[in-house]
Amino acid sequence: MATVRSVLKRDGIKEENESVNRQESMKTKQILLSVIFGALLTVGDVSGQQRKQIRIVGSSTVYPFSSYVAEEFGETTDHRTPIVESTGSGGGHKLFYAGVGGRHPDITNSSRRMKLSELEKNGANGVEKIVEIKIGFDGIAICQNKDNEALSLTVEQLALAVAEKVPVDGKLVKNPYSKWNQIDPALPDRKIMVLGPPTTSGTRDAFHELVMHVGAENLGTYPKNAKGKVKYQNIRQDGVWVDSGENDNLIVQKLTKDPTAVGIFGYSFLEENSDRIEAARINEVLPNPESVSSGKYPVSRSLFFYVKMAHLGKVEGLEEFVDLFVSELMIGDEGILTTIGLIPLPEAERKRVRREWSDQVILTAFDLK
Amino acid sequence: MTLTESIEYLFTGLAVFGSGAFALGFHRAQKISDQGIRLNSRASHYGAYALLWFALPFIALASGAVLLHLQQIFTFPLGLALLLAFAAGLLGWFHAMRKISAGLRARAAVERVIAWALLAAASISVLTTIGIVGSIFFESVRFFHIVPLWDFITGTEWAPETAFIQSQGEARAGEGFAEPKFGAVPIFAGTFMITGIAMLVAVPIGVMSAVYMSEYAPRKVRAFAKPLLEILAGIPTVVYGFFAAVTMAPLVVKAAEFMGLGASFENALTPGIVMGIMIIPFISSLSDDVISAVPNSLREGALALGSTRAETIKKVVLPAALPGIVSAVLLGVSRAVGETMIVVMAAGLRPNLTWNPLEAMTTVTVRMVSSLVGDQAFDSPETLSAFALGLGLFVVTLVMNVIAAMVVRRFRQRYEL
Amino acid sequence: MNPEQEQRYQKRLKARRRADRRFRVFGILAIVIAILFLVVFFIDIIGKGHMAFVQANVEVDLHYNKKSSINYRLAVDKEYQKIVSRSVLRVIPKRMKDNPGLRGTSETAWVLATADVDQYLKGKVSRLQDREKEVVDRLRKEGRIKLKFNSGFFTRGDSKLPEAAGIWSALVGSLYVLLITLTCSVPVGVMTAIYLEEFAVDNWITRLIEVNINNLAAIPSILFGLLGLSIIIGVFGAPRSSALVGGVTLGLMMLPVIIISSRAALRAVPDSIREGATGVGASRWQVVQHHVLPLALPGIMTGTILSLAQAMGETAPLLIVGLMAYIPDSPNSVLEGATVLPAQIFTWFSDSQRAFAERTAAGILVLLVVLLTLNAGAIWLRRLTERRW
Repeated sequence: MATVRSVLKRDGIKEENESVNRQESMKTKQILLSVIFGALLTVGDVSGQQRKQIRIVGSSTVYPFSSYVAEEFGETTDHRTPIVESTGSGGGHKLFYAGVGGRHPDITNSSRRMKLSELEKNGANGVEKIVEIKIGFDGIAICQNKDNEALSLTVEQLALAVAEKVPVDGKLVKNPYSKWNQIDPALPDRKIMVLGPPTTSGTRDAFHELVMHVGAENLGTYPKNAKGKVKYQNIRQDGVWVDSGENDNLIVQKLTKDPTAVGIFGYSFLEENSDRIEAARINEVLPNPESVSSGKYPVSRSLFFYVKMAHLGKVEGLEEFVDLFVSELMIGDEGILTTIGLIPLPEAERKRVRREWSDQVILTAFDLK
Repeated sequence: MTLTESIEYLFTGLAVFGSGAFALGFHRAQKISDQGIRLNSRASHYGAYALLWFALPFIALASGAVLLHLQQIFTFPLGLALLLAFAAGLLGWFHAMRKISAGLRARAAVERVIAWALLAAASISVLTTIGIVGSIFFESVRFFHIVPLWDFITGTEWAPETAFIQSQGEARAGEGFAEPKFGAVPIFAGTFMITGIAMLVAVPIGVMSAVYMSEYAPRKVRAFAKPLLEILAGIPTVVYGFFAAVTMAPLVVKAAEFMGLGASFENALTPGIVMGIMIIPFISSLSDDVISAVPNSLREGALALGSTRAETIKKVVLPAALPGIVSAVLLGVSRAVGETMIVVMAAGLRPNLTWNPLEAMTTVTVRMVSSLVGDQAFDSPETLSAFALGLGLFVVTLVMNVIAAMVVRRFRQRYEL
Repeated sequence: MNPEQEQRYQKRLKARRRADRRFRVFGILAIVIAILFLVVFFIDIIGKGHMAFVQANVEVDLHYNKKSSINYRLAVDKEYQKIVSRSVLRVIPKRMKDNPGLRGTSETAWVLATADVDQYLKGKVSRLQDREKEVVDRLRKEGRIKLKFNSGFFTRGDSKLPEAAGIWSALVGSLYVLLITLTCSVPVGVMTAIYLEEFAVDNWITRLIEVNINNLAAIPSILFGLLGLSIIIGVFGAPRSSALVGGVTLGLMMLPVIIISSRAALRAVPDSIREGATGVGASRWQVVQHHVLPLALPGIMTGTILSLAQAMGETAPLLIVGLMAYIPDSPNSVLEGATVLPAQIFTWFSDSQRAFAERTAAGILVLLVVLLTLNAGAIWLRRLTERRW
């Protein structure tokens, strides 16, 4: 009951306050109203949205390079640091071609060239002017623990080691190989154990294209389908190949602890961990900047990013960001990105990239055919 | 005017005009009351009445405009939309001011709106559930158009890689591919394996500590140990995941090697144990509650017949509390099944149908995360498979919860709690 | 009773008492195991992370001249180029531009060393060449290279350079996300609780809402991520990676927790209060507004703080809605890209540079301190306002 009474009392006080408030509110009311109407009248500018921060999406392979440049850009200019999100190449293109305007990204990174179908989608959604910029190469390294004796494989041997089915006497059978020397007596007497990228990774896609596909074609013993194309094989599922996630660091840790295992990942991670792991020769070639940029190393791919030209001038700093990215400081032979594993383009091609950017050479369907 | 600015205007406008509307309504009522006429409601109710008549049309129009703008269904100058909303609000307010009189039942009117607002708030939780089911369901249906439901449920092989490549575009279409396989059995098997290990850790420790706390522990020990157990519950899962991957996994591998067994770094045992530890406080606090709820008369009866304390607990208290403990365990299972970060960080990605907990295994949540944040295109079957797996997860946890709720209701009825 | 029987009886009694003691020991053991884990866990995390709170700094001469304005690596003597962090050097041209008075001068300053130097000083694996190690050893003898308190860890955002990476932007992001979470979940949650406790009549709608809330509380958090992805981003068009998306997603997730704790707090207010107020003519809402709610407020606040702590540690749904992007700047509004502390921890955990390992553990320590403080605050508040009727 005491509570009820005290609450009742409180209400009484409130009533007194209210009558005081009443008089004050009359005066303040008029002032406030005029202020608000004034504010509303200034609401005239309804032009297009300006964004202060660049948004970048796309490939997880380009992500470390892109975020490196983003950080440099944020630190050395007055612009805000761009936001870089790793959505994968396909996801990046999808977000990129969704349209023009504040909600859509300005740049998408890609570990492969834009597909013709993607360019068409861009056009259909009003994203008409796109500039393609090639920033360098990424080698896919086949690595092992440094304590092992050096490993030298051919693309065909690698394909045979991890394919689900292999041809034996003209027939496809379940992959019987469990040791490397079963494929070729010259290879070491070691269990085959491959830690590779998962099915969701772009590196896996590249591995399929550059190793599984090429290997199957070169072997010539795989059966062909009706169209005369080689029916190459899935990667085996019996535990010899282990999907190891996007966490390449964990793969490196596992390689140091399990000397029999072989790991597959981007050259940048090899560079970062060269004290613990080493790369195998593929077709007698070691991955290094020279062999990759000259095309001698067979398992490598080009890295790109695409700029939405409609956002140029609308998004603060977009032009300067791309300028910085293609500068010698970043992608040159001695550029900063090489320290984290980017393999630079040959000098002539870098010049061409820079010229095409400054001339704003638009990507056309013809380029992609 | 940008969206952010217009939202700012919206809120300041609402605050300032709203308080103005309140003050004017209040003032009008006060004036009537000053004339010696008895008001039906208190003056502040008339203020609130005027405020509501201003705010509701205003909010309805303005939020509609913002939504349309965000959706980009229909673009229009935001400033104009805002002005329109203000006009609608003012119109409503004029109407309210005209209606204010001594006879107006303002309190009833205002409280009716409040009651509706409360009901609307309560229905948001229902809408959330509908939203979750809807967001999983439609994408799952798309997935099941590509992969038959039956194959998904009974297939023992999960090999989606060619699905990924096929979705990459026509450039490589027409090449010979093996069909992608989306059999969810190995993925659910991995989930249940890890969950099973977690429960093997969490149930004995959780229930025994609950028994000790409620039946044996002196008050001081209880006051000390209970908060410590609660800390276990408060540690974020990303932290458990770090501990599992960085500290626990090498230990498990070493221990397995010591016993002459081969273990993968992504073995199922590590996340299982760590997840079990995470669930201990969950099971112990729920069990503690039900054990304490068992009527004392049962204990006294058993003790009076000469049984020891352990016998009383084992043969009387625990059987009586069993339904409650079972429901605690079921809720623990549904948590373990849906746990994400620990397994993302410490379990493998390899769909693997095996009984050996030292091998790498993957779980539903791991596959969901990796296909949603990976490199693939958004409409590839592999991305869609995340939603189908999510649907499976939803169904499993829902069944667990329903059973747990039924069991606990029976327990409550038995002791009329 | 013959002596033989007596003996048998005594023996059995002993066995039963032994079983009794054994059972009790099992109970103690269970608690000891749980607490032991907690101790091992904290020792492990502290052991891994505490070194990140100090960072190698080096005393060098910085040259502001024409050469270093073009190639910033030339701002220090060649010997130090691999020792001084690039985060220091790269801003030199801009500093000269902003402050023309600097041009042509030199200064001696303590600046960040590279992560390799830092790891070498801490006795961890480092990629320094032998020649560089010699230089570091010499500088250490001269006292020109030291481990100093790492204030940058708290004041900087994320960086690709481990030595320059900090948690500031993640902390700000967490704050924004939690603010949105609170503004979403507390009003709706408390209103739902009031509806169910004070207004609802027992009909099918009420029962549906109640069953639904209990189920919602047990839905795995990752499914809320899917909700955020397809409804909040897809349908409502909120910008990806923004604090708004993350906050609303977490807000919906915390809703059942807040509803359940608020209902408990409302239920704890005795009916006599309601009856008293109704007796003097208060309407239903007036009873709630003036009497029940103020009395239940401490309980509601305790529940809110606890759910806040839970939301702060949540990662999985935020991963799905894109709050794991690389975001070194702290956000200025809820529509800008943001990251949160647990997501930052996960990002560092996934990074291939080994110097990030200790930062991951240090980030975890900060997160745990914040969470323990929040929990302790909730307990303190509960003790302070506890009231028996």
